[in-house]
Amino acid sequence: MRVFQLQRISAVAMVVFMTMHMIVVHYPPFHIDFSIILERMQNPVWKVIEILFLFFVLVHALSGAYAVLIDYENVARYKKLIAVLALVAGIVGFIWGTLTVLAWQPPT
Amino acid sequence: MSNNGSKQTAIVRIQRFNPDTDKKPYFQDFRVSITKDTTILDALHEIKTHQDGSLTYRRSCRHAICGSCAMCVNGKHMLVCNVPMKNHLNRKGRVSIKPLTYLPVIKDLVVDRTSFWEQYLRVKPWLIPLEDVPEKEYRISPDEVAALNNAEKCIMCGACYSACTIVGSNKKYIGPHALLKSFLRILDPRDAGVRERLEEVGTDEGVFRCHTIFNCIDACPKKLDPTKAIETLRGLAIKRQAYEAAKRKRQQTIIEPVLVRE
Amino acid sequence: MYKTTGFISFLLRRVTGVALVLYLFAHIWVLGSAVDGPETFDARLNVVQSPFFKIAEIALLAAVLYHGFDGMRLLIVNYFKVTDARKSLFYAVFALSVILVIAGGIPILLFMFEGLGG
Repeated sequence: MRVFQLQRISAVAMVVFMTMHMIVVHYPPFHIDFSIILERMQNPVWKVIEILFLFFVLVHALSGAYAVLIDYENVARYKKLIAVLALVAGIVGFIWGTLTVLAWQPPT
Repeated sequence: MSNNGSKQTAIVRIQRFNPDTDKKPYFQDFRVSITKDTTILDALHEIKTHQDGSLTYRRSCRHAICGSCAMCVNGKHMLVCNVPMKNHLNRKGRVSIKPLTYLPVIKDLVVDRTSFWEQYLRVKPWLIPLEDVPEKEYRISPDEVAALNNAEKCIMCGACYSACTIVGSNKKYIGPHALLKSFLRILDPRDAGVRERLEEVGTDEGVFRCHTIFNCIDACPKKLDPTKAIETLRGLAIKRQAYEAAKRKRQQTIIEPVLVRE
Repeated sequence: MYKTTGFISFLLRRVTGVALVLYLFAHIWVLGSAVDGPETFDARLNVVQSPFFKIAEIALLAAVLYHGFDGMRLLIVNYFKVTDARKSLFYAVFALSVILVIAGGIPILLFMFEGLGG
């Protein structure tokens, strides 16, 4: 039940964040490099938004992956292990992603 | 396929399997003369009576109330007793009949429904009465009956269970049939078992395993709606305590006589 | 029972979902090169903006759009308990996805050809 709720809540968050991401970052199509992204990241609000986006994406992706795996009876036996693995993948992904966002400092 | 007047010849392709002699199932074709009124069950009777007495299938009432004759016809699950053969012939004049999907085949079109019945028993498909009994009869309103959405009309035929993709991948999934019956009791004002019922079905093996594929609604011969029942139960499972409190309040009035304006 | 719209919708949703999870981790890995400095980042990003990847990007767009719209359809079904209009909702999701993939894919293709020509 908790996994279902997490998935639905993160799904709603994703609709908001993903729409914003598409419009701000990818429309119209242009060549992307470090300095172009830096222009946006100078504003710390964008860093916060990206980290929040990352958080909700990881929750949705990993709760979704968990739900898909436990659909299959033979795999559902290892529910607890899969949950732990998903949590670990989420923490690793979140730390790595946050460090990446924070790497957008102007070159000294 | 010949077509003289009202009779035509149809090809009935049936999945056969005899556990005593066959290693695995195979298909066998039979030719049957049909009219516009011949049902698929009629054709099976004709084959068994005049062509191959070893053909084995379940049937009883032949008017869509006992639930025995659910089978997989051209990939769709249905009762074969009230379905005209004519409507299911393909361009070559052939209909394919297989037993209910995802259940072990005992012989020909007869399957082992153990997991179906186990999941059904799991949801305690009987009324759990209140501790206090009303002085007169239980009274529930027409709105409360309407909220049950005809769930009591289910004939336990198994079409929805076999049509459900999730049942195919996970036999521990409670299944649309049992979840519909659980819904029937959870929403019934006369039933006292809300907590234990929601605890059983509000789980990853119950309502949260459903992925709203809707095959159950398509398959049901009584046009029932297990998906809507499951969606409702999802909401109730999440807000369990609020629902239990509301139901307790309702049951106070069911015990005291309800005043009816004549 | 595999020919129903419900099953196709479920299958596409699951396939796009799994593909997107895999993409997510690849995306984190590609972007993660930023911690090694702007030059490393730009080098890696140039690779994934080459024409081959641009075409793959259209597939990614399709996956995101379909998964998102089908997910929104699910939220509607869950919240409003809509089961009668199930087929119409599915067709609406499919149509919206196709339209927006074309609307989004054409600029990507044009941009890609511009890059190849110039």
